[in-house]
Amino acid sequence: MSNIDRRSLVKGSLAVMMAGAASRAAFAQSSEPILLGVSGPLTGPNAQYGTQWKQGFDLALDEIMAAGGINGRKLAYQFEDSQSDPRQSVAIAQKFVSDPRIVMELGDFSSPASMAASPIYQRGGLVQFGFTNSHPDFTKGGDFMWSTSVSQADEQPLLAAYAVKRLGLKKLAVLHLNTDWGRTSRDYFVKAAKGYGAEIAVTEGYIAEERDFRSTLVRVRDASPDGLILISYYSDGALIARQARQVGLKQVICAASSVYSPKFLELGGEAVEDVHLGTRYFPEDPRPEVKKFIAGFKAKYGGQEPDAFNAYSYDAMNMAAAVVKIGGTDRRAVRDAFAKVKDVSSVIFGSATFDVESRRVKGAMNAELVVRKGQFALWDGKPT
Amino acid sequence: MSSWLDYTINGLIVGNVYALVAVGLALIFGVSRLINFAQGSIYLVGAYIGWVAVVQLHTPLPLTIIVVAVAAALVGLIIERFGLRPLQNSVRIAPLLATIGISFVLDQLVMLTFSPNPRALPSQLPDVRFQVGGGTIGPLDLLIAGVGLTSALLLFVFLRYSKLGWAVRAASQDRDAAMQMGVDVNRVNQAVFGIAAALGGVSGMLVGMYYNQIDTAMSLQATLKGVVAEVVGGAGNVPGAVIGSLLLGLVESYGVAVFGTSYRNLFAFLLLVVVLVLRPNGLFASARQAPPEPLTGTFIAPSRPVRIPRWALLAAAAIFAVLPFFPVSFYVLQTLINAWLLGMLALSLTLVAGTIGQVSLGHAALLAIGAYTSALLSMTLSVPVGLSIIGGGLMCAALGTALISPSFRLRGHYVSIATLAIGEIVSLVILNWESVTRGPIGISGIPPLSLFGYDLISPTSIYWFSFAVMVVLALLQGRLLTSHLGRSFRAIRDDDIAARAYGLSLNRYKSLAFIFGGFAAGVSGGIAAHLYSYINHETFNTQQSILALTVVILGGLGNVVGAILGSVALVGLPEVFRIAAEYRILIYGIVLLLLVRFRPQGLLGTM
Repeated sequence: MSNIDRRSLVKGSLAVMMAGAASRAAFAQSSEPILLGVSGPLTGPNAQYGTQWKQGFDLALDEIMAAGGINGRKLAYQFEDSQSDPRQSVAIAQKFVSDPRIVMELGDFSSPASMAASPIYQRGGLVQFGFTNSHPDFTKGGDFMWSTSVSQADEQPLLAAYAVKRLGLKKLAVLHLNTDWGRTSRDYFVKAAKGYGAEIAVTEGYIAEERDFRSTLVRVRDASPDGLILISYYSDGALIARQARQVGLKQVICAASSVYSPKFLELGGEAVEDVHLGTRYFPEDPRPEVKKFIAGFKAKYGGQEPDAFNAYSYDAMNMAAAVVKIGGTDRRAVRDAFAKVKDVSSVIFGSATFDVESRRVKGAMNAELVVRKGQFALWDGKPT
Repeated sequence: MSSWLDYTINGLIVGNVYALVAVGLALIFGVSRLINFAQGSIYLVGAYIGWVAVVQLHTPLPLTIIVVAVAAALVGLIIERFGLRPLQNSVRIAPLLATIGISFVLDQLVMLTFSPNPRALPSQLPDVRFQVGGGTIGPLDLLIAGVGLTSALLLFVFLRYSKLGWAVRAASQDRDAAMQMGVDVNRVNQAVFGIAAALGGVSGMLVGMYYNQIDTAMSLQATLKGVVAEVVGGAGNVPGAVIGSLLLGLVESYGVAVFGTSYRNLFAFLLLVVVLVLRPNGLFASARQAPPEPLTGTFIAPSRPVRIPRWALLAAAAIFAVLPFFPVSFYVLQTLINAWLLGMLALSLTLVAGTIGQVSLGHAALLAIGAYTSALLSMTLSVPVGLSIIGGGLMCAALGTALISPSFRLRGHYVSIATLAIGEIVSLVILNWESVTRGPIGISGIPPLSLFGYDLISPTSIYWFSFAVMVVLALLQGRLLTSHLGRSFRAIRDDDIAARAYGLSLNRYKSLAFIFGGFAAGVSGGIAAHLYSYINHETFNTQQSILALTVVILGGLGNVVGAILGSVALVGLPEVFRIAAEYRILIYGIVLLLLVRFRPQGLLGTM
């Protein structure tokens, strides 16, 4: 499962405890791997996302090792389960900050867990690389907070352009997860869509645990939109699409890239046929980094198609490797290296370079897909 | 107008789904007066067994239902035999905690076996839709309604006309008398758990098919909605549970219709509070029914508390006070900071739950009130952080007491359910009251802790600060318990009728307890807000309320030292088990079960 298995982890930490500070210098040049800390959910309500992270990390690490590691040294990560609970993520933060082997931290998943830990990473001088943290204030936590999460200010106008300009929708119903991510996304989407001349008929926010959307869809129907916009993850997106078709709504559905997952097709079945979605990459993408990612992923995980969260974590591990190659194992140098890395090959961005001001990456790739015959396919321009 | 018909139909459809869980809960409550928090987990297990049967074994639907029912019934029997029967003669709150522990274990086992990724559970019924109003219904809707109504009817007939049914009813009315009449109460319990579990398993499978989706997070939600529906209908009343479920579905659906989707659960929980306040025994309880709870005295049984000598307490306090001078890592200090913050919450809860007998399941809401108040005071009004935390405590004392006061006339389990609902309401108000709380975006950039102008940012200083605050609160509470006020609190807990006869005003004393407890919880929330720098409506969730109650029961109800010991244990254990990675919550659940089994009165006993 994880890159360093539990036994070596136990052995490692025991060794550190027993050997004490004296031998730490010896580790630095030895064959001990360069260690990254990961704080994320492996149990609890968000556990699925933590397991997806691991898949992406492990694939990227395989490739990094095959290419000779980091200047001849191995790269590894230590995954600590936070359950996306701020109480646990702050304890993990102190754990990583006080562990001299850790050179950088990745995660956490949810905003409350990630941003509660930020002050500790900032004061402790350890980079918190939040690769799924789209909260606009995340990188404002300090100069040790960096993120490759696609800015919703970038993504939502692309989706709005797809829905309004390309698909010709004029009157939209927006359904969004009522979380910091969903809310921020909705605001950017609404602004962009209005800018393109569309009318927003109704917006409905729902909580993550919601399963039943029938009554919400009656509200949507009564607003008589010509298109439904889903700012959802794949499981709730599939539920909404199914129930929309069941209650007889036949409008065009257009979804945010976070539904991009084989699970969306599995859970949605026939109901997600002809759903449009903007994504950062697609299965037949000719870009070499995408081909390598998809082929590698399928080979490693028995033919399974990768999804958006796999891609985020794969990219994050590659970015971490590129940063550590420049910055080495000194934590400050690692932070400074984030400003120095240029054009890192990336599934999401094509090539990623940080904007030093915002500590984020701009200019995500864009592909306009549609579900055809139960598969994601590049949209051919035909109306549905 | 036609939309209202649609909202009505949709409400009934989702009510149908709730009914499947509520009927099982009602049956168990009817016999053992126990809210079975593991019912949602059985529902989860049923859904995954259904998945194995349908997707792996390709069984036809009738066979699938039988397989799931039998397997789930077996799980139910195992729970009854090994989880609950050993606790029969211990305090009444022990089985409640045991069901929470069992649900941890079952959920984790499912997650470890099947991975947390959601799965599709395809429906095995033909995909035809019938037009009703502006929407359609499918065969699964009818099947779910059929299963719900048939099982309620069958149970009704079983309870009324069969010999075992009579035994069940006899046992629920008076367990001791039933035993004297030769009823094998264990067999009755077994039968009830088996039936309820079979029903729970089948409902999980049907609901999974209904949404074509099963995942490990469905368990807690099912329990919450099921409990609401059951209590609305009248706890322990099987037909009432069905009607309560339909009512709940309707209220939610109309709530969405009038105010929008994000208000949906707000209406569900408001309905519950209103029903509890107006008709504490549920809508369909008959007036001549015996009180649904025994007097509170048997709910929280007295036990001999472990006396810890004063020198030992002083020594322990001294060791923790000088701990940062020793080479301990910041990680250990941070973990202990978490323990002290949880300790303040536990002090609050042990006072209201243990000392005065109001077992609250919504205590995280107090944290949230304290945290938001302190954060907003310090940010918008530039109040110094030390003062803003006190402001958070005071606001929490006032608002918390006001919110909880409608439930003062309730007893036993009903207090827990009402506080659970109030906790959810607070969280949903925070989500929706955007002009003040900034809604789902949350509040970021909360200033760090500071005292007299000095920022407390090193882990050592935060450690000392939180430890000192907790010790002061603990000393105050210890003083309170030995005063005449403490004796009055315990008198109300042990026998409220006698206490009232003696001239104690119950509401006034309950308010006092909540004011003191609310302050401690609010301070804890306030400190947490400045420690985290970012909070939103998810920061203080239901799981934290359940954790706090676990701490309090584990430490010994009403026991101040026990609350702190329990906090250190329950914050520390999951950290110690980190080495076990994905298995740590499973191990935690098992340890919890063993503790309940062998120390049902808590580690240090009830005070």
